[in-house]
Amino acid sequence: MTQSPSRVTGRTVQLMATCLCDAFFDDVAKATVEVLEHAGCEVEFPENQTCCGQPAFNCGDWPASREVMRHTTRVFEGEKPVIVPSGSCAAMLFHGAPLEFEKEKDLPTIQKLANRTWELADFLVNGLGIEKWPGRFPARIAFHRACHTRGTGSGEAALKLLESIDGLEVIPFGEAEQCCGFGGTFSVSFPHVSSSMGCLKLEHMTAANPDFIVSGDMSCLMHLGGLADRAGQPVKTLHFVQILQSALHRHG
Amino acid sequence: MSTAREQIFSSVRAALTPLPERTARPVFSKDVAEPHWLAAEADSLALFQKRAEATGTKCFTDLESCAAWLRSQGVRTVYIPAPLSRLAALCSEFCEVTSNYTRARVNEIDAAFTPAAGAIAESGSIILSDESTPDRLAALAPWHHIALVSRAEIHRTIADALAAMPEDPNLIWVTGPSKTADVEGILIQGVHGPGAQACLII
Amino acid sequence: MAEQKVELFARRLDRGVQQAVHSNSAAGTEKRYTVLGKDYSAPDDLRRLAGQIRQHAIEHLDTYLEQAEQSLKRQGAHVHYAVTAEDACRAVSDILQKAGAKKVVKSKSMISEEIHLNDHLGSVGIESVETDLGEYIIQIDGDHPSHIVKPIIHKNRRDIAKSFEREGLGDYNDDPETITRRARVFMRDKYLQADAGITGANFVSAESGRLVLVTNEGNSRFCLAAPKIHIALVGIEKVIPSDAELAVLLNLLGRSATGQQLTVYTEFINGPARANRPSGPQEMHVIFVDNQRSQILASDCREILRCIRCGACLNVCPVYRQASGHAYRSVYPGPVGAVLSPLLAGKNFKQLADLPKASSLCGACNEVCPVDIPIPDLLLKLRNRAHEEHVPSPGTPPMGAFAKLASSPMLWRFAMKSNKVMNLVPLEKLPLPYLQPWLKTRTLPEWRGGEFRSWIKDRRKK
Repeated sequence: MTQSPSRVTGRTVQLMATCLCDAFFDDVAKATVEVLEHAGCEVEFPENQTCCGQPAFNCGDWPASREVMRHTTRVFEGEKPVIVPSGSCAAMLFHGAPLEFEKEKDLPTIQKLANRTWELADFLVNGLGIEKWPGRFPARIAFHRACHTRGTGSGEAALKLLESIDGLEVIPFGEAEQCCGFGGTFSVSFPHVSSSMGCLKLEHMTAANPDFIVSGDMSCLMHLGGLADRAGQPVKTLHFVQILQSALHRHG
Repeated sequence: MSTAREQIFSSVRAALTPLPERTARPVFSKDVAEPHWLAAEADSLALFQKRAEATGTKCFTDLESCAAWLRSQGVRTVYIPAPLSRLAALCSEFCEVTSNYTRARVNEIDAAFTPAAGAIAESGSIILSDESTPDRLAALAPWHHIALVSRAEIHRTIADALAAMPEDPNLIWVTGPSKTADVEGILIQGVHGPGAQACLII
Repeated sequence: MAEQKVELFARRLDRGVQQAVHSNSAAGTEKRYTVLGKDYSAPDDLRRLAGQIRQHAIEHLDTYLEQAEQSLKRQGAHVHYAVTAEDACRAVSDILQKAGAKKVVKSKSMISEEIHLNDHLGSVGIESVETDLGEYIIQIDGDHPSHIVKPIIHKNRRDIAKSFEREGLGDYNDDPETITRRARVFMRDKYLQADAGITGANFVSAESGRLVLVTNEGNSRFCLAAPKIHIALVGIEKVIPSDAELAVLLNLLGRSATGQQLTVYTEFINGPARANRPSGPQEMHVIFVDNQRSQILASDCREILRCIRCGACLNVCPVYRQASGHAYRSVYPGPVGAVLSPLLAGKNFKQLADLPKASSLCGACNEVCPVDIPIPDLLLKLRNRAHEEHVPSPGTPPMGAFAKLASSPMLWRFAMKSNKVMNLVPLEKLPLPYLQPWLKTRTLPEWRGGEFRSWIKDRRKK
């Protein structure tokens, strides 16, 4: 994963809520706003935002993906850091987009946005220097490090914040490096492989008997939650930012 | 018609010429791939013994215990190169000793001593060369192979051994007995080469 | 709806085989992780260094290949070149026929699988015996390896015992130790009777001309101990600058492949036997094989040529663990195969262009790769190439309409809100071909499009 070594930071930020939060998980987007505000940020929400273009990128339809990405660069113009509560969409902006624009004239525009883009936990810890999160959240959680945060500081950053919360216990589980099986359109073009991967992940995580399954990507949680639900054995999932938000509320 | 060589070189050059820049040869220190625990190991001989045992190579430091081990293993015919007469005398008490390794006897000789060209402490490897072990089969075909390792020829690290490779058509680093895990991932020793690898440090 | 080929294979795969592949692969991943963690405080730095070494080598192949050739010749080896797989096969049989050789023993080599050498030798009346235990079982079964390092990961001991019984290697016995001993005895005679030994090479040092071979069983050593002719088939990308780079590469290869610091036998071959060193083969031939490699070097996927064939990416790959190696319909399975196989196919790219799709792009392969190959990026580039070449991809939704929607904010906001109607209809009944595979095994959460947007608007007003 390529990330610029010197990324733009600051306390006036633009939020990219992601299409999944736009469509399904407004709670996560709201929690992101509250948590960023607690961290002293002023959060702007450019309302013409849509999607990062990753579905088309992953399907190999790069012209279609570039069309979406060009729209996104227009929506998020300026100099402020762009914060994304998803490792996957963030990685699309800072790694995927430069790859698909490698041979395009407007690569510098894309690279500029890439240098301003942060996954949320990475931003809180490595951008703002937050080491500890206040409040209380008494629960045992199994944390799934979303795959698109491999090779970045995001996974460690999220764990650092979570582990600093009073009452919270992060519990280990088997084959932790394995993917949840989602993979975007992979989940519908390889439904058997994808579901089998997800079920295995669920098996490992539930064997550790957590109160919540936690990740930094709603896509993974939507997949795991959906699988468990369909199998008639629902699990409770939370984005880590919902835990940060909830801890704040319990802080009083 | 151009030769295969010309064709390949011309396509390789055609592939590389358009590159705006080529990756430079990385500069790295010789110890870059040393395990971090190596620094704490002061004594190369002790380290070699520890690493060799860990990979399944038995280490002996005297002739008697080595001979006693072969006896306990039920060895029937042992190959001992001519100059090692004291060893030959010890072994002749319990088995046939031959100083002549021939193909005709490949399946009869069930133990062989051959001199090593050195050893590597970091990995517990024995180094054999065609100079030190003039017959490659002797160090490979018997169930028991005992390499004679000279204390003075133990390299501390893999990088040291690479830097000091002697001029020889063949060098082989032997790190433990021959093994496979092809069947259901179960570890079995002694596939084609020795099932029991040992060294006698002299 | 048509199905992806890897998906179809995985769905029909015997559960026992799938579980064996999974547990063996997971054990491999665990071992690799443990040994690297025990030995290095920053294994990723070492992987990146090794990646640079290999990238440097392939980007200077013109220089190093020539230097390797000179060094090999200096030591008395014959150097040959083969442009295609067929050329490589013919080069081997020409050498053998010229020497009147009728029987050969073979050490495990991926490139010989790639060029289908055994079939060729059989067709010209030369007996070729695979000596690696796993490869031998593959050979007698007329099967194909399903893993780069563990070729029979898909077989159990009962399968093997039956094969041995059929081949006359004793009565049925499925004890792994007995199986191994029987192979030992059988191979002895093959080695001693063979006229030539064929091997691959893990590395060739340009400066010294040393050919490096690593094995655990000792079979490659036997192939060079008994026969009088040695033929090494070497992909042109195997060349490295000098012996010094081996300190990095060997340390990573064993640990990545099998969790060993070094494999049991690490062999450095520096020419044929000499007058004062008569033990080895009298003749040594090195055949440098291109077989599409120079074309890959010219492509934007050249990083795949760094590969040192450790198999770590197969072990860690969740798709490989579900589908097993044969799902990839080629010599190189798993993540590396999903990149390499369509490229090696050359003008038949389209036939294997589905392989790069068989990945959730989770990136675990890159994370374990000893030479840090950006496999997910290469998979994506090949997906793009397949799209450009109009290769049909079953189950992949067309993206044109999505791109239009996601580039038109008004339309997007309207769709977000209006899709709430989905909460009111039974989704399973909707004729949406890309939704149904999802719903078969998962539910969808409640549609709440527009909720966040109105919330933040209200909040800003306050």
